[in-house]
Amino acid sequence: MERGARVPAACRGRDALMFGPRIQGRNGVSLVPPTLEDFKLHVAWELQPEVGRFWGPRFGEMTADKQEERFKKTGADQSQLMWTIAYEDEPVGYTGIFGIDWVRRDGESGIFIGRHDLFGRGIASEAVRLRTRFAWDELRMHRVHNWIAHANRGSRRANEKSGYTQMGLFKQSYFRSGEWYDDWLGEVFARTFPDEA
Amino acid sequence: MALGGTVRGKKTTLRLPVEADLDAYNRWMADMRVRRAHSVWHEPAMPATWKDRFKNVAKEKQAVLWSIDADGTLAGLALGHLWTMGNGFDVSQFLIDPDRWRSGLGFDAALALHRFVFDYLDLRVATVNIRADNEAAKHIADRLGFTEFAHGHEVHYRDGAYVDELQLRMDKETWQGRWSAEREYPPLAADATR
Repeated sequence: MERGARVPAACRGRDALMFGPRIQGRNGVSLVPPTLEDFKLHVAWELQPEVGRFWGPRFGEMTADKQEERFKKTGADQSQLMWTIAYEDEPVGYTGIFGIDWVRRDGESGIFIGRHDLFGRGIASEAVRLRTRFAWDELRMHRVHNWIAHANRGSRRANEKSGYTQMGLFKQSYFRSGEWYDDWLGEVFARTFPDEA
Repeated sequence: MALGGTVRGKKTTLRLPVEADLDAYNRWMADMRVRRAHSVWHEPAMPATWKDRFKNVAKEKQAVLWSIDADGTLAGLALGHLWTMGNGFDVSQFLIDPDRWRSGLGFDAALALHRFVFDYLDLRVATVNIRADNEAAKHIADRLGFTEFAHGHEVHYRDGAYVDELQLRMDKETWQGRWSAEREYPPLAADATR
């Protein structure tokens, strides 16, 4: 999810979950069910150079119609759960667990903070904590895994604080601004989620 | 991409899949030997469902599906996905008919597949995920030149327990160093373009 280039794993669905419920967190951060208006914000967020270093290709079918289609597809997808991240009641990004396999109880997590002017305020850390706790306490998942740009220390740290540990390193994963970037692969279990979190 | 064309190995041929193959696909997905060894592409289903799946994969721009023949009969399937960026290829499904395991078909077809990936598509990396206790898959991957880049714990569930997953990669340089003699076409003659 963080890298956006690799094809997500195939998955098998069960009952619909789609959009996550409202979860109030600390320091003004909350996870809320996405709206179509939130999805329309993704276009401007994802195409900025300020967020593109550790993100996708900065091009794509980013029309209003396509965003509406994505919104409907996400809402109907039984193998993922997605939230808008709100900070002081304003949408600032999104997060979720995708490609959930309900037999293995495993899924791939991702997070994107679109408001780069808010980087460094602990928003991602709190969003990951809320998402991860939900995975154990409400979804009864067994494991969540992810890929993060190795050089994206902020995102890595946000995930590590919620118990993610490194399970691998994919060297030269993608090319950006004249150099290769590696990807850090992490995984988390309920037993590695910190008690105090 | 969607449906793959002919890629010849020594014992096997990767070829265009057709609807007539779907009955065997369904049978393999229902075979507990297959299900123990690796994840299934789809669950067993009615013929109409398989036809829909076949139509859908044929339309997928990033996917390539092949049927694998050996001795003139259907012996397996292979499915891969091209990365949307970065010139990579994930081998998502690679399955040989369990009644024909341990006859060298898997390695031969895998070699042909990767020759296509590196020498024809000019991709820079291939990846595959295998269950940590799948010794046959590990042997094939090791012989081809794959190396581990990640070890996922308790990823797959079967037989009442979780099993780990190994994530493997092979880079083009490894392919060229190990299999440079495995070209599909002979080198162009020096005077070929005169």
